[in-house]
Order: sequence, then C-alpha cells, then structure tokens
Amino acid sequence: MEEWKPNPTVKPHKKRSWYLAWKYKLMNQRALRKLCQTGAVLFLLVTVIVNIKLILDTRRASYEEEEESAQDYDDEMLNVEAPRHPVNNKKVLDVEVYSSRSKVYVAVDGTTVLEDEAREQGRGIHVIVLNQATGHVMAKRVFDTYSPHEDEAMVLFLNMVARGRILIFTIKDEGSFHLKDTAKSVLKSLGSQVAPFLSWRDMWTFVGKKGGEVYGEKHAKSPALSTWGDPVLLKTEVHLTSVEDAECHWPETELNRRRKRFCSKVEGYGSVCSCKDPTPIEFNPDPLKDNKVFDVPVAVIAGNRPNYLYRMLRSLLSAQGVNPQMITVFIDGYYEEPMDVVELFGLSGIQHTPISIKNARVSQHYKASLTATFNLFPDAKFAVVLEEDLDISVDFFSFLSQSIHLLEEDESLYCISAWNDQGYEHTAEDPSLLYRVETMPGLGWVLRKSLYKDELEPKWPTPEKLWDWDMWMRMPEQRKGRECIIPDISRSYHFGIVGLNMNGYFHEAYFKKHKFNTVPNVQLKNVESLRKDAYETEIHRLLGEAEVLDHSKNPCEDSFVPDTEGKVYVMFIRMEQEADFTTWTQLAKCLHIWDLDVRGNHKGLWRLFRKKNHFLVVGVPASPYSSKKPSSVTPIYMEPPAKEEGAVAVPAVAAAEQT
Amino acid sequence: HVVRKFLGLISSHDIPVYLIDPLILGLVDKDIEQIRSSPDGPSPECKYFCAPRDFTTFALLDKTWKHEVGLFRTAEKMGFQWLKIINKDPRLDGMDDLSGMEIPLHYIFKLASHAIHLVVFYERSGNYLWHGPLRLKQHMDRKFVPFRKLHFGRYPGAYEKPELLHVSIDDLKVQIPKNPSTFLEEMSHSRFLECRYREARAFFQLYPDDASLDAVEFRIKAKSLLHLAALTLNNLGVKFWLSSGTCLGWYRQCNVIPHSKDVDLGIFIRDYKAEIIPAFHKAGLPLKHKFGKVEDSLELSFQGEEDVKLDIFFFYEEEDHIWNGGTQAKSGKKFKYLFPKFTLCWTEFVELKVHVPCETLQYVEANYGPDWKVPVKVWDWKSSPSNVQDNGVWPVDEWDDVIQIY
Repeated sequence: MEEWKPNPTVKPHKKRSWYLAWKYKLMNQRALRKLCQTGAVLFLLVTVIVNIKLILDTRRASYEEEEESAQDYDDEMLNVEAPRHPVNNKKVLDVEVYSSRSKVYVAVDGTTVLEDEAREQGRGIHVIVLNQATGHVMAKRVFDTYSPHEDEAMVLFLNMVARGRILIFTIKDEGSFHLKDTAKSVLKSLGSQVAPFLSWRDMWTFVGKKGGEVYGEKHAKSPALSTWGDPVLLKTEVHLTSVEDAECHWPETELNRRRKRFCSKVEGYGSVCSCKDPTPIEFNPDPLKDNKVFDVPVAVIAGNRPNYLYRMLRSLLSAQGVNPQMITVFIDGYYEEPMDVVELFGLSGIQHTPISIKNARVSQHYKASLTATFNLFPDAKFAVVLEEDLDISVDFFSFLSQSIHLLEEDESLYCISAWNDQGYEHTAEDPSLLYRVETMPGLGWVLRKSLYKDELEPKWPTPEKLWDWDMWMRMPEQRKGRECIIPDISRSYHFGIVGLNMNGYFHEAYFKKHKFNTVPNVQLKNVESLRKDAYETEIHRLLGEAEVLDHSKNPCEDSFVPDTEGKVYVMFIRMEQEADFTTWTQLAKCLHIWDLDVRGNHKGLWRLFRKKNHFLVVGVPASPYSSKKPSSVTPIYMEPPAKEEGAVAVPAVAAAEQT
Repeated sequence: HVVRKFLGLISSHDIPVYLIDPLILGLVDKDIEQIRSSPDGPSPECKYFCAPRDFTTFALLDKTWKHEVGLFRTAEKMGFQWLKIINKDPRLDGMDDLSGMEIPLHYIFKLASHAIHLVVFYERSGNYLWHGPLRLKQHMDRKFVPFRKLHFGRYPGAYEKPELLHVSIDDLKVQIPKNPSTFLEEMSHSRFLECRYREARAFFQLYPDDASLDAVEFRIKAKSLLHLAALTLNNLGVKFWLSSGTCLGWYRQCNVIPHSKDVDLGIFIRDYKAEIIPAFHKAGLPLKHKFGKVEDSLELSFQGEEDVKLDIFFFYEEEDHIWNGGTQAKSGKKFKYLFPKFTLCWTEFVELKVHVPCETLQYVEANYGPDWKVPVKVWDWKSSPSNVQDNGVWPVDEWDDVIQIY
C-alpha cells in the first residue's frame, strides 16, 4: 500500500474532502495496511492459479480441436452455438440518462448502452434509438452540434427513424452553438419542451417515443458563458409495446425476411424499413451484352460507416452488368451494423481484426482484403477494388468491360481507374473519352492479379510502417513507369465526408464538384488508341490539330479560352525538368482543380476541358511534346505565392491523400 | 426412384451437379465406350442406379450456383428431408484474422430409405478443387444417415478440375467425369491436409518473420522455382513431394523459410524417369550436379534463377523404412537419411497443390529432431540432420559416374 497513489487524472469532485479523509485514515492504520498487503498477495495468487488453469484449458481445448477426428465423426463439436439471450419478457424498461460537461451515459435496465468520458471527443448531442418492443439498441449516433452542419445531419437522421421508436438524447460538453431553428423545431415536435431554448453549455437529457409520448426531460442551464450547466441525471420508465406492433407486415418473401431482420435490428436507414412502401433491396439492373467483367471479383473495402456502405451498395447493385455473387465486403473490425447492411443485400461479408493503427491499419486491411479476394476467386485475373464511400456510376461495369482487355494485353498499364482526379464539373465533358495518366487515382479501380501476387503482395508495407497503401503504390519502385487508364468523366463519386484523412472543408473544396457520369451504356471512343504506342500517335494528332492559345493573356481568366465549343486548344507552361510542377500547381489552383499534388499528367501533358473545348497543357521543355511549341510562343510561368499567403488551411496529411 | 426425383429437383433449379459415386462410376467405367457412343440411347434395364444402396453421391461446384433457399423449399415439398453441414472457409484460414461466413461443405437429401450425398467442391488457389470434411455438430441428428458409410467426408480432399460428360444411364441424364477410372484413381489418393495456420502464427509470434528485402526476394524466387518444378514434373507424370527445408517451411510456418536458400523435393525412385533431366533443362533449369545412380543414393540438383537451387532427392523404400542418400563431392563419402514409412497427402503451398508426407510430424522429426520448431541458421547437411548415417565411400572408379558437377 505504500506505493498506492491517488490517480492524478481523476477530476476533482465534491466528494473530495471525504475521499481525502478516508485516504489519510487508511494510510495511518498499520494493521489495515498489513491486511491490505496480505489480501493483495492472496488475490494475486488466486489470479495466477486461475490464469494458469485457463491457459491449460484453452491449450487442451485447442489441441483437441486440432486433432483429426477422422476415426469418429461424433467427436467433433466445433462451432457450438452460444445460447441466445433470453427474450426480455418485461414490459417496462428503466432508463437512466446522464448529461454533463465531461461525461455522458445511458443505461437501459441497468445495462450501460452508452458511456463516453473520453477527453476532447464525443462533444455534442448523443442520440440512441431503442426498439419499442425489445428495448434493443438500434442506433447510436453523436452529432457535434457545436460545429456547423451537424444539426442538419441530425435532422436527416431523426427523419429516417421509424415512428414508434424510443429516442434518447443527451448532451456532452456543448451542443447548442450550431443547433439551428430547424433542428430545434424537430426536437420540439418530438415533444421536447426545452429544445427550443437550449443555449450555450446547457446540459440536457430527453427520452421520448417518435410520434408519441414523452418519458422524461431534464435540463440544467449554464449560469455564465465560462461555465457549464450542472450535470443532470434523468431516470424514467419506458413501456414496451408488443413485437407485432413494432414490426411491419410485409409479404412473406425471402427478400422481406432479410428486410425484417435488418429493420428490427438497426435504425436510420429510412424508407428501406417503411411499412407501407419500402424501397427495394433487389435492383435487377439490365445485364450487359458481352460482359467481360461478369466474372471479375469485386472487393468493397469498408470500415465502420454503415450508412455510407448502405448508399454505396445500393449504387453498386444498381449498376448495369453487376454480378452480386462476385461481391465481397471486407469490414475492418468486428462491427455489427456494416455486416447487417451486407446481409440486407444478400451479399457476403468478411470481418477483419484490425492490425496496427491509422493509415497502417487501412493499409493492412487492404492487403488482407486483396489476398482474400484472390483466394476466394482463384481463377480471377483481375479484381475490382471499391471503397465504402463511393457512388458507382450506372455504366461502371460497361466502362470496365470495354477497357479491361487493355489491362490484360498492355504491360505498360498499371491499373484502370474509374476516377479522374482532374474531372470536375467545369473540366470534364466527354463520357466516351479515356486518358492515360502516370498517377494512380484509386477510388474505384481494377487490379491485375499478377501485379498483386508477383509484385505488390510480397513487398506490401508491414504494419509497423505507417504508410498509406495508395501513396506506396504510387512510388516509383512500385509503379515502375506504368500508367493507368482513366475516363474523362469519373465513373465513381466520392461522397464521404468523414474519414481518416477527410473532413467537411476538404470534401467541399476538392470532391463536391467532381463530375460523375449518369448516362447509361456509354460507348467508349477509340479504346484501342489507349495502347502505349497508339496513344502517342493520338496525342501527336491532337497537338497537330490544336490551336495555340494567346499566351499574352492570363490563363486563369475565363477569357483565356475563346467562347467556342468542341475545339482543341493548347497552352505551354514552363516545366524545367520532369519534376518541376511550379507553374502547373499554380494553374491547377486558379482553375480550381486538384492542386495538392500532381495528378493526371502524361509525359508533361495534361488533358482537360474548358468551356466545352478540349484544353491541353504542355510543360516546356520537360515534355517530349515541347517540340510542338511554335518558336514565337514563350511558355507561361506562374510564380508560387509568397509563403505567408500560401498557407493553405489544409492539413498536411489530408493534402497527401484522398481516401 | 429417389435419384430420379433428386435430379428432377436440381434440374428444375438449374443446378449443375455431377455424379461421383464410386460404386456407380465403377460400373459405368466398364461400359464407358458404349455409354460414350450412345449418349441418348435408351437402356433396357436399370443397371447402374438400381442396386440396393443406402445413398448415391453427387458433386456440386460451389461457384455454379447461387445458394438459393428455394431449392430446399422445393425439396421439402417433394418429401425430402435434408441436412446441411457448414464450417469455416479454408480459403480464409491462412489469412491473419479474417472471419468470413461459414460455407456449406456437404448436403444430404433423404427420401424414404435412400439418401443423396451432395459434396460441395470449392476452387482454391493452385487451380484445384477442394471438398471439406464431414463433421457433425453437437445438435445434429447422428442417425440421419449411416455417416460412416459415406464415401466422401472422412477427410478433406483435393482434385483436379474434371472434364465432364453428359450421358444417359438407366434413362437418367447425368453428368459424369469424362474419364471415370482416372477420377476413381484420383479419389483413392485425394486426402488433403490444411496447413497448420494457427501454429504458424504462433511460430511467428515467437520468431518474427524476416521482412528484409533479401527475404522477400528469396521467397519470390523460391515460389516461382517451385511452380516451374511442379509444372515440369506434373507434365512428366512424376509424383513428388515437399522435402527437407521446404517441407519444414510448410509444416512450421506455412511459408518458404527465407534463409533456406534452396527448394527441396522428394521423389520415389520407382517413379524416376530418364526424361527428368532434359525436361528441366528445357524449362530453363540446367543440371548443377548429379550424385549417385538410380540403383543407389540418386540426387539431382538444378540451377534456378540466380543462386536459388532445386534439389531433388530420390527415396528408396525398404521393408520398414524409407531412405535417401547424400554424397560429399570432394571425398566421395556417402550418407544415408532414414525416415519412417509414409504416405502422400495433398496440400496447398504458395498457391500450388502439392504433395507432402501425410505423417508430416514424423517426417520432419526424423529429419530435424525434436527441436524442429526452433529456427536454425547454421545447418550442415552431413552432420546436422538427426537421421543421418555414414554409408561408406563410393569406389573411386565409379566417381565419374556418381559425382557429376556442372
């Protein structure tokens, strides 16, 4: 006991004086100290013995399990199912909700279903949805309504919740600063008396049934700007309804069985669980004629963003030529809800115990997913790799079906990607046009098995290297000068705004205005010209036909490009050597396209659209296409802004990545 | 009767099963020419299916059907009782910490006194088909059918992808393996061993894997050398297995041991063919040395890409043991390595379906002693193995023949 110290991180409490007195007393009683020591030793001994026994038992068990019990079928007892939780027959639930500056918790019938006392996270309004018949937690969300737009997300979520569900609210730290009137009135419509008057650093708890009675509400006002309201603890009872009342009565079909299982478990998915007119979960898009990618496995890489996954899978399963049997969703972690989403759509899902942290965790998850994909589909030559925060274009598989033979035959190709880093609303125009680029865009792409198995997998960064898998794949050691094929108009759309390297600001600046193809069955133009040598011919033809723009004008100005349509223009910028992107970066900035690193180039050439004209940018003299520059034209040079001005408010990590 | 009903059921759901029942295929094989030549001919009597048996066995390729639940509904309506045996997906077993859904391995459909055993085959890396063992879980009806009499399921099995033939036997249209006798022969040696992934993980916890560039590159080379060797020997029809360090790598860590520096294979001397050396030469693997002769202690070494070497040891069977020989080039000394008798099983190693001794532990222990679990970097083939014996010296006049170095 001598070394026993109070926990320095424990926050001061009102009970502090009593606690100190008790501690003091304890320290002074020798006998008691002795007793404590003996007790501790005894406890230790018991623990050791129990642990040893446990280890021995598990060893024995694992040994037995491993033995080939070929002689006797009756021996095997693998995978004995654990007994299910007994059905709760109680008609009343005790609910406890606590709100304070540094801690929130919710307990249902004595079981803690939410507890958050982590520092510097979990700020805002926590919402829990309970099933009104079983009392099970169906959704758990936190909306940081101290920050902008989070209240809109909360309203969206609350609108998705089915009538009759039990809603529990509690504030941690601050939840009112950006809680706008719309959100307040939604809370009011749920029966809250306090919500319309919630203000800075108030504490608040509320329990009610959606579209029904209020079970309780408690509120503590903050007395001053610099202080928080007193913690509030709401204790109340909730009366459960019968299971029949809580469920919809859809016709008995296999699809509805899946729907029912899903809808009785989770909340916040809106019309898929609507009793009257549920949205379909099977899509049956038109099959593709002569589909070359029907047998290509599709790996969906997912984390714990089930709502994203839901949106993603809907769009994927609606794409023409999709083959649901080839889809596997890889979930990084033992999260239940993403798995529920996977099962709702009747797909197969695989969970992955997280290895390592942050970017390395994502990277290990990618590796495991890719390896597993090729194990599960051993005769596949390719795999399509998707992420949970992508919308998939209706002609995604059609696009791949028309181009995949290039990846098979042209060894100078690294991948086919559905994403054009530079394809924004104002810079992409032609759904039938493809490019070759030296950068690997990711965000919906095709990987060749031989590339993975022979080159990438054996060298994949190990968990202790905190590398991004995509940055690693872009490194010259891996890419070896090979290129990717991309469409002018992307076949995927990156909608995720929460993620490892992602936030609302970043998304708004770089992803929101990205162009996304919605036209079905686009016939790609001149696919054969994407082969290595043919592409050079094509570029020379384009440059030969291109009109040289007026280099005395400011390239950032709209008037730099004439008000025409369907013409080809070229401009020349200064690019001293292969890695000199000074002017390009400035140009990209003023054109409002991707400027955080260099993307979309092919031998010092960039191709995009401006005012519906094809717009070529050639870096002189580094690009081999510099010879096309008329001698009278001086390449444009744009100076980077001085350091102070140039301080962009994007964090360095985000700048390097776009997962 | 029952088979007819079952075939009706599966064809109504468009599920392509094929017949693998060894008893029926045995009968069919005798009349194979006739059956092949008249695929639609009516048969006068019920010759194949009608013998009194408890069950008939069919195979189903997993990827050819969609797991529709409708099948089982219809089966029930037709009066079938059915049983599904599921277990872990072995294709994910070797992967660190992945847990997928369990997969169906066997189905049994029972009607009256006859049952249909449907074995589900999965394609695995290494271009082969695999079926799982049949293990009952606690709550299952142990008397559903006489499980012990089933022809498939005692062990997991590995097969080549069969070519199928549509035939009509006893007026039933079924698919059978194109060459029933080859299939039956394959079946008798089909036992499959899964790598011990759990133990391999434990091994790497104790001895972290070598992630250096050298190790990575050696593994890539060793893998491609093994693929090339397997292709060459399979084309010749020579049966081989993983031996020595390569076998230890498989058994202990489910991978190539990065510091082993060569690939080792074993071949029974009775399977020796003179074409082996020219075939390897043609495959780009020149002979590096040849020790011993067919009658005694034969050992071949081929030069792979850069300094990776392929060693092939030939094994001689005696009454109560099996041995292979070694030769020291400079002294002409002979060595003998003794192993307890073993049989061969299939396994999957570096995306290849290959043989290993079924009694792997005895094999590895004979070679490496009881401490085989501890990695050793310094290894002398003449003294380190626990099963090495001096075996005299080659007569000097034979040296030109039994010690050939290139």
